[in-house]
Amino acid sequence: MSSWSAALELGELDVDSAFRDAVFSQLRESFDRMNSTTSTATPSQHAFEKRAADIKAPKSDVNALILDYLTMEGYPKAAAKFCREANLQPQQPDPSIQNRQDIQHAIHSGDIARAISALNEVDPELLDSDPKLHFSLLRLQLVELIRQANGGDPTAAITFATENLGPRAAANREFLNDLEQTMSLIIFPLDKLKPELARLLSPDLRRNTATKVNEAMLVRQNQRREAAIRQLVRMRAWAETSARSKKKDLPKSIELGLNTDNSEPGESGLEPMITT
Amino acid sequence: MTNPYQQHDVGSNIDPLASGRLPPLNARRPSYASVVSGSPSALARPTRSGGFSHLLNPSPDSEQQQAQSSNPYSTTQDPRFETGMSYAHNGEELPARDDTDEAVGGGFWPPRLGATFPYFSRAFDLYVSKDPLLAGDPSGPDDARFPSTNTNLNLSTPGFLSPSYLRGSTYLQKLEEQHRARILAEREGTGSNGAAPPSSLGSRLSTNGSSSHLPTVGMKATGTTHRGVAYDIVENHLSPADEDDTVSPLPSKWNRDDKEAALEVLGDGYEVRHTGRALSDHEASAIRADHYMSPACGVYYFEITVLNGRHDKIKTPPIAIGFASKATSTSRAPGWEPDSWGYHGDDGHSFASQNVGKPYADTFGVGDTVGCLVNFRLNQALFTLNGRELPVAFKDMGFKDLKGKLYPIVGLKKKEDHIMANFGQRPFEFDIDGYMRRQQGMIAKDIRLADASKLVPGLSETDIIQQLVLQFLQHDGYVETARAFAEELHTEKMALQLDPQEPVKGISVRDDEDAHNRQRIRRAVLEGDIDRAMKYTDACYPAVLRDNEQVYFRLRCRKFIEMIRKEAEHNIMLEERGASHTNGRGQATGDNDDEEMFEAEPGHNGTATTTNGDGDLDMAMTEAGDGAGGSDSAAGLSKLSQEALLYGVELQAEFAGDSRRETVKQLDDISSLFAYPNPLKVKEVAHLLDGSGRVAVAEELNSAILMSLGKSSRAALENVYAQTCVLLESLRKDGGDGAFVTVDNVVKDIPPSRLR
Repeated sequence: MSSWSAALELGELDVDSAFRDAVFSQLRESFDRMNSTTSTATPSQHAFEKRAADIKAPKSDVNALILDYLTMEGYPKAAAKFCREANLQPQQPDPSIQNRQDIQHAIHSGDIARAISALNEVDPELLDSDPKLHFSLLRLQLVELIRQANGGDPTAAITFATENLGPRAAANREFLNDLEQTMSLIIFPLDKLKPELARLLSPDLRRNTATKVNEAMLVRQNQRREAAIRQLVRMRAWAETSARSKKKDLPKSIELGLNTDNSEPGESGLEPMITT
Repeated sequence: MTNPYQQHDVGSNIDPLASGRLPPLNARRPSYASVVSGSPSALARPTRSGGFSHLLNPSPDSEQQQAQSSNPYSTTQDPRFETGMSYAHNGEELPARDDTDEAVGGGFWPPRLGATFPYFSRAFDLYVSKDPLLAGDPSGPDDARFPSTNTNLNLSTPGFLSPSYLRGSTYLQKLEEQHRARILAEREGTGSNGAAPPSSLGSRLSTNGSSSHLPTVGMKATGTTHRGVAYDIVENHLSPADEDDTVSPLPSKWNRDDKEAALEVLGDGYEVRHTGRALSDHEASAIRADHYMSPACGVYYFEITVLNGRHDKIKTPPIAIGFASKATSTSRAPGWEPDSWGYHGDDGHSFASQNVGKPYADTFGVGDTVGCLVNFRLNQALFTLNGRELPVAFKDMGFKDLKGKLYPIVGLKKKEDHIMANFGQRPFEFDIDGYMRRQQGMIAKDIRLADASKLVPGLSETDIIQQLVLQFLQHDGYVETARAFAEELHTEKMALQLDPQEPVKGISVRDDEDAHNRQRIRRAVLEGDIDRAMKYTDACYPAVLRDNEQVYFRLRCRKFIEMIRKEAEHNIMLEERGASHTNGRGQATGDNDDEEMFEAEPGHNGTATTTNGDGDLDMAMTEAGDGAGGSDSAAGLSKLSQEALLYGVELQAEFAGDSRRETVKQLDDISSLFAYPNPLKVKEVAHLLDGSGRVAVAEELNSAILMSLGKSSRAALENVYAQTCVLLESLRKDGGDGAFVTVDNVVKDIPPSRLR
């Protein structure tokens, strides 16, 4: 307390009132805590937990994982802020991340035509060199047209399919199957679809297609296909499965700790309402 | 440059029989590069301590060390490195420094030095690579006097056997850590470098502190440079106190004490010759290697080459290669006994623990190189012949159930039969690296196909990762980033929402004052402004520094280091620009930015602080010149050094009563900085000033604050990292899949951060 007020008098603190209030509330909080908390006795820990607790991920590695993720998956604003806050150099120039984000965003929103034209602007050869990717995009565009028709006049969708997808599908069995499946969306009422057809209408198709496009763009830029954090998370899943199948001594479940300390009581841990 | 260690020319120590018997396959002579990596020279050097002989430690003798350290400005950079160069093979002195440098520069070393130190490599990249003063910019003005282009080479421990196919593996990494720890222990035991007297701080010119410290410093420089000041948090990383952590060393040579009497080990321990006692048909002479093949390797491989020993020109002498437990008799050929397996050159048969063999492959003889490969993961073993992979010889080995450990073994029978082994000290004939990559590839494929969505029920892999990232950002106080990321995620979710009417659940970034405060404190430390960090900490979390003495101590030490660093940088600036440039720049902020400015616009005189651009109040505070802040003009130079001196004495006094080893050592380390006119230019100590030390201190402080708030000291992403490490460890024990993958490899894939 005394050092705080001393610092304040010296005028060396950032003394805007919000900060001061925060400091006060902080002090109160820690004071309360000192008085009230009984030290949380940890229940007997499994040897695994103890070993894991002993291992510290170097912060520099974790920071690298984060920046890599924000860069690779196309979150330019967060990537830029993170570079600033963590004193890191950007992994890729801003515009490259921004381009990929814009295209992903167009696909996420269902505006495939815009995505394709933006893609052609950034890298005119990409779609030509990857017929499969091109087909996926066109098929998603067809799905979006059918969705827009919403059981009404399917002419636009049929015309689009005939002009753009038919010629490509003719040469490739796999494409043809996909096209036929998609066209059957026109025949059935959209609210009573079999699961495999309903899946086409779920946002996951947009998300997956966007991911594929992003990966293709990364590869064209001589980047790795996906962010390292994905490998880490999969390695974690794989290692647990393998260890359990080999009957290693593990706790019943190994918590990631995602929603334990993130959520205050009363808040639903994962996705509370936005406050900003 | 003359090599100061020529007197230790090992050529003279090599058994005369060992030379001149090589087959006409001179190509197999070790390349210069391999000499550097797995320098066998130590074998022939006089060993100082028998107990450590297997560690192949070519550390300089203490007198050499002293000679070295008494002249800290010598251009000879690293005594151990030099020693490695004076290696002579078969009496032929290898060209020393230049050629070796070339081999090194020519890509022999893994481009990322993290290969041997992957856990820490990242920190190294980020800070050193953009700091021309520390990275040894070859164009630096004092390059000739302080050649530092080889700084990075020290990352590999000299004299350490590191077979190429095991590089990057956890097994080898642990071995290397043990190796270094023992070198250190040995040095501290033999040298008289306890604690340097604290008074060394007071006498500026005394080299006392530094000379007694060179060994320690040198050791750090070999692998942990970026860690800067002792950073035990990371150190714990690989050594969670656990008995499993001691790993068995690799077989490195033939064991003179574990052979049949008629055999003779030549020279440096790789060559074996039969001295020719008559043997009955059911007898042979075998010899095992010094250590067993650890299943933790996943795959173990060694080769023998049959040398031109016989005069009767028998093309396929009775020579056998294989592996066996310690219990088997050395007077029987490999494969003839229980727990013994072998491939025989005279008939091309393989023998699996019995007298009768099976036709396996070609016969082999003089001039041939035969390899033995044990795959613990697949429970099989096979052989190679002159670089060609032969079929699997032994299947379903059940290595896990074997009672004894398995040793590399060879068997000879006739007088003058002569072989030379390669335990990884030089490149193999067979592409074992490729074999290893195929093994790793199989596992990588399994990992790629793993379903991460079951880690958290109800969330997809993408969801989980988004949560992990967001939670980390909030947890660690990256407030702005967390907010920006949450907004971008929100936009993404909006776009994916099919029904525009349906409300999109937002992602909240709680406006957490704690996070703000912690971020502010971190930033101050990262900028090297320790005073500001301590002031903030005291203001917001008054208990933290009081209750965490170690953290407090680290901060104080770091402040001293920053003072020294500032002075050193100031001096360099003055040297570079001449006396005419005397502008005082706000040095406490954004050192790195400043240095960039330096490079880009050498003539530019402006105040570079603005490039830091955070635009918050921190800046104003610093420029107001508190604490370590203001340094101005030539007068500032002496003022700076006076301040640092006073502060250092004060620091010593404050912690004089603290006899903990770590405290003493750190005080010792930092006082050694005073011994140099410009420590930034002295490789042995420059790492102490490294910017990565700031990261270490900042994170330690952040953890202490989190703990004081009753929060988990780490985020879920860090749990994921740690859990994966432990899980892999458990999968590694019996040579399973875990031996082939590491978390580092994932992190290593990330390209090192580049300059803008």
